[in-house]
Amino acid sequence: MTSNTETIPGFKITKSLGVATGSTVRAKHIGKDILAGLKNIVGGELKAYTELLMEARTEALGRMMMDGAQRGANAVVNVRFATSSVAGGAAELFAYGTAVIVEQE
Amino acid sequence: MYEVDGTGALLVLFLIVLVSIFALFFPLAFIYSMLFGGLHQSSHQKKLLVREKRVAQLVGGDNVHTLSRPINLEKISQCGLVMTNITVAPSWWQLFIGQIKSIFGGQIQSYDKVLTYGRAEVMQRLREQALGEGWSEVINVRVETSMVMNKVKGGQQNKLGTLEFVAYGTGIR
Repeated sequence: MTSNTETIPGFKITKSLGVATGSTVRAKHIGKDILAGLKNIVGGELKAYTELLMEARTEALGRMMMDGAQRGANAVVNVRFATSSVAGGAAELFAYGTAVIVEQE
Repeated sequence: MYEVDGTGALLVLFLIVLVSIFALFFPLAFIYSMLFGGLHQSSHQKKLLVREKRVAQLVGGDNVHTLSRPINLEKISQCGLVMTNITVAPSWWQLFIGQIKSIFGGQIQSYDKVLTYGRAEVMQRLREQALGEGWSEVINVRVETSMVMNKVKGGQQNKLGTLEFVAYGTGIR
């Protein structure tokens, strides 16, 4: 289970297992970049970027959950996202949270 | 007298074609942007309003909120992260208008329109995804803005004005 709240309502945290992290660095495809530039003429949504970033963020989240599972947690609470531009169009997507063991109250 | 041989003539021809493509393409694209950019964006906005109404009817209110406690649900058996995003950019025309307006300062309505649409759309996607995945409520919703797809070159950032909005929250059932 993952949650971005500090505690999961209806559940009790019995043990904290440290910070679970996951990150991925992605760069955009040059072809997609040109197509997005053309799409930019009329403005609005750039679907290619939306999909790319979603994919990357899902992967970062997946890695965070793997990290949590390796620590023996059954939930990750207080999940946060961070993004940073690394260089020349590459972006780092980072997800982190607290790996915990929860029990239903 | 210069003699023009075969390859030289070809090169000159190639350059002329290249220059004329660029000279034609950019003004045409700019005019296209001016004429159809607003139309394109407002058609998306209309679609969004229809979708918002449909979800509001289906749920009977709103299924996302920013509180960290559930409002309607009494007993929670499962929870999970719900996350949606959108990347938006103003059109070439809007960028141009924005740049001119930023000389004098004040409110820039052309950017405003795109960003408002982006935020509304990402929230609507969150509602729809929550419905699709079967969550009865999404609590603790946060909306984040990031500028990840920009080149940082010579101090000039975010040339295209591309912005990403991420909305995420905890789905409960």
